[in-house]
Amino acid sequence: MAKPTDLVQGTLDLLILKTILLEPKHGWAIAKRIQQVSQEALQIQQGSLYPALHRLEQQAWIKAEWRPTETGRMAKFYTLTRSGRKQLERELANWARLSTAINIVVQEA
Amino acid sequence: MRMLDKVRLRLRSLFRRPNVEFELETELRFHLDQLIEENISSGMPPEEARRAAQRMIGGIAQCKEECRDMLRVNFVEDLVQDVRYTIRSLAKSPGFTGVVVATLALGIGANIAIFTIVHGVLLRPLDYPKPDQLMYLTAEAPAIGGTGSALSAPEYIEFRQMNRSFAAVGAYSTGGAAYTTGEVNLTTGDRPLRMRSISVDAHLLKALSIQPGQGRFFSDEETARWTGTLPPPIAILSHELWRTAFGQRPLVGQKVEIEGRPHEIVGIMPPGADVMDNHTQVWLPLWLHPNMARQREAHVLYVIARLKDGVTAEVAQTELSAFLENWGDRVGTTDHVPSNRPLRSVDHTIQLRALQDAIVGNASRPIWVLQAAVGLVLLIVCANLANLVMARAGSRRREFVLRIALGASRGRLLRQSVTEGAVMSVAGGILGLWLASAGVRALIRAYPTSIPRPSEITINLPVLLVALGLSTGTALLFGFVALGRGRTSSMAAALKEGARGSSGAWRHYARRGLVIAQVAFAVMLVIGTGLLVQTVYNLTRIDAGFDRSRLVTFSMTLPMANSEPEARAQAYQRVLDRLRSLPGVLGTAAMSGLPPNRTPDAIATLIGNYTSDDGRPFAIIDYYQFVMGDYFGTMGIPIVAGRGFERTDTASQGKVAIVNETLAKRIWKGQNPIGHRLRPPGGSFGASDDVWHTVIGVAKDVRQRGVERPAGTELYVSLDQHGVAPPSMNVVMRTTLPPAALSGTIQRVVREVDAAVPVVRLRDMDSVFAESIRRPRLLAQLLGAFAGLALLLAAIGTYGVLSYMVTERRREIGIRVALGATRSHVLTQIMKQGLQVTALGVTIGLAGALAVNRLIASLLFGVQPTDIVTIAFVIATITAVAVVASWLPAWRASRLDPNVALRDE
Repeated sequence: MAKPTDLVQGTLDLLILKTILLEPKHGWAIAKRIQQVSQEALQIQQGSLYPALHRLEQQAWIKAEWRPTETGRMAKFYTLTRSGRKQLERELANWARLSTAINIVVQEA
Repeated sequence: MRMLDKVRLRLRSLFRRPNVEFELETELRFHLDQLIEENISSGMPPEEARRAAQRMIGGIAQCKEECRDMLRVNFVEDLVQDVRYTIRSLAKSPGFTGVVVATLALGIGANIAIFTIVHGVLLRPLDYPKPDQLMYLTAEAPAIGGTGSALSAPEYIEFRQMNRSFAAVGAYSTGGAAYTTGEVNLTTGDRPLRMRSISVDAHLLKALSIQPGQGRFFSDEETARWTGTLPPPIAILSHELWRTAFGQRPLVGQKVEIEGRPHEIVGIMPPGADVMDNHTQVWLPLWLHPNMARQREAHVLYVIARLKDGVTAEVAQTELSAFLENWGDRVGTTDHVPSNRPLRSVDHTIQLRALQDAIVGNASRPIWVLQAAVGLVLLIVCANLANLVMARAGSRRREFVLRIALGASRGRLLRQSVTEGAVMSVAGGILGLWLASAGVRALIRAYPTSIPRPSEITINLPVLLVALGLSTGTALLFGFVALGRGRTSSMAAALKEGARGSSGAWRHYARRGLVIAQVAFAVMLVIGTGLLVQTVYNLTRIDAGFDRSRLVTFSMTLPMANSEPEARAQAYQRVLDRLRSLPGVLGTAAMSGLPPNRTPDAIATLIGNYTSDDGRPFAIIDYYQFVMGDYFGTMGIPIVAGRGFERTDTASQGKVAIVNETLAKRIWKGQNPIGHRLRPPGGSFGASDDVWHTVIGVAKDVRQRGVERPAGTELYVSLDQHGVAPPSMNVVMRTTLPPAALSGTIQRVVREVDAAVPVVRLRDMDSVFAESIRRPRLLAQLLGAFAGLALLLAAIGTYGVLSYMVTERRREIGIRVALGATRSHVLTQIMKQGLQVTALGVTIGLAGALAVNRLIASLLFGVQPTDIVTIAFVIATITAVAVVASWLPAWRASRLDPNVALRDE
């Protein structure tokens, strides 16, 4: 099980921003979605997910609102803000650069 | 936009705390529930599902804490906690807290008080529009030590016409020029009052750029046409006088009796308007007697000028220097014109300086000296507090180490130390601010005339900023001391040695260094104080030339407008005779100028068979003294040659005069002056024409313009002989009674002679002297207070360090005593340590004092900055204080019972 500390530093933010790019999601759905898409390779712990969400919210990259879920319970849904969208673009570019670089290094020889 | 969002979110997490907490809780609970649900749907029994979920997500509390960190509220929370904890822990040691806060309050308070004065008097611009443009012109005659003198009327008018740098050039006079002496009698109802007055021209009011509060100002027409025998009967009142004496009733256009003549009040000044700190109450139109207006020798006008926009003071100065090169050529006369090179005693030049400098004048240096003194006091305060805080930190070492062991971070502990400092500094600062405001108010009330611009001295924003700066600075100092503590050795070592509260070597040195610094600063302050105290003592012991004991004096004015010189002489004679007949009165006399603090007359006087440096038959005599009655006898002024005035002179035809030693020396240069003749202008004392007077005697010099200044040239004329008197006279009585006991009788006697004339400045001659040295005395008193404070603090510092050392060395001392050391041995040993520290401090302090005492040399009188007696006295005082401060801990050490001391461990 991949712990969040195993994630390359800062990638959790990237994952969260990317996951809510299309539609607002609550914390649980975000964790589940990342887990699904990564084919169970990335399991996001509550202990890192929520601090990360609150940090992103304080940076005004995402904003939160209370909405009912399909089951009718109230949950906190996170939406990407305009500045969050820009941040996501920046992080994606960074990630592309970083992963390319790492690939070059590890595939050499 | 994003910034705003961020700020909004932060504020929300801070102030809507319960909401945020609730949301956090709900959000995490939702997550947990989802997890449990998932576990159940994958086939787990509900109980197990819940446990598994909880295991999986770890401690909810820890997660919440991390989220809160993200919300940035912990910092503020911690701060509140720190402050609360600090207040609790400070309240637990009220002695320490009390000493620290009180010391801080005294140190900060003294600094704020003096800075308030520095700011109000020296730094704050004058209360006129564009005050930087205002310049002040004076005549300077360096060859005879005449400085800051007025200009003559022709010079003033010439300068106004010649200059291109100034937008307006105006003049004023507080005496001599008009019929006033800077004071006027003013009648409201049946009460005669004596008011401070000034005579100004329309140009001056324009230069100052003030606007009338009500009515109008004087017109050019009213102040520039010097014709007739009296000024036009118009006046402007100060707002304050209008308020207090007239109850703010409509007054413009009405008549008020001033100097015995009805004057039309044409305007009321705006609140606070004044010129040169004169405390002006009545503004009169400038008027000169046509004769005086033509005289180039009559220096009677003070000139204030406003620079044109964009013209600098340097440009104006250059222009003035150019005028001084050939003033005579420019105005077409060589007669007594200002020049660039005033070499002879009759020459003078003109000086230009900023009006603010001119107003503050020589008060600026004493004020800066005081500021330096309180700065030293603050340094001592800081040193003392650093010592106290170190001692406390030493005794709380165990607590700190324990807290580190329990997981507190060093940063967190440091922050708490700083918080502790900040709380005490803020408390001290607030208390100090209060002390300062009370102190400054008391000071101004006690010495209303000793400080220039008293109305400007208020605690305002810049002063508050300085107070804030001082408090923050001291708080940082505490933090620094705490930081130093934080760097010490390892925890384990600290825990072990912490048991005994012992300390590292650096701390010993640091604490001793602090005491040495305190002693050094205290030495500097005490030496400065000693010199000033000696100055004041010297000033009080100056022989002013007359016997001032048992002399009572008052002044009165019979206005020129409604009295003839002969009638005035008779009125004064009646007052003198009636007072002389009172029981307890040994003699009475009257004089025109009251020594030792009168204004100079500087009157050109024709002298028989005399030619001055520049080939004239006359000399400028500094002081004319017109006297009535037995003047020399009553004042106790010795006649050193010839004789004094006698009753037989009154009836005799030949007019006689007496000169002082300085005049005799300057004019007749060693020859016997008796029998020589001079001719004082009769207009100066009310006589109709000028007649020759024969010198019949030489009187001992009397200090006229400040006790510390050498006597000038002085001429005595007997009014009894002339049967006339000038409007204002000072009466003196040699009496065994105090002024208070005589007050009623004097008022009655004067009222009987003229009910419209107020009795002013009734006091004994000792008060006149005290008034003349009020500034050095005030400076010495304030410095004395600060030096006392410094000494006390240094003593506390020495005592503190020694008693702490004794506590630390209890065991060692106990062993020594057990091994046979005698009590006196222990006593001397500890005392020696204290005195060593003091000796070092004294040495450094002496060096410092010698380095800076030059700065106060100009404030001293009759004592050198290196005065050996003062220095010896200071060393003795400091040593005595150090002995007392060291003796107590040393004595305690010598009383130590080795049994108790060794068992303690």
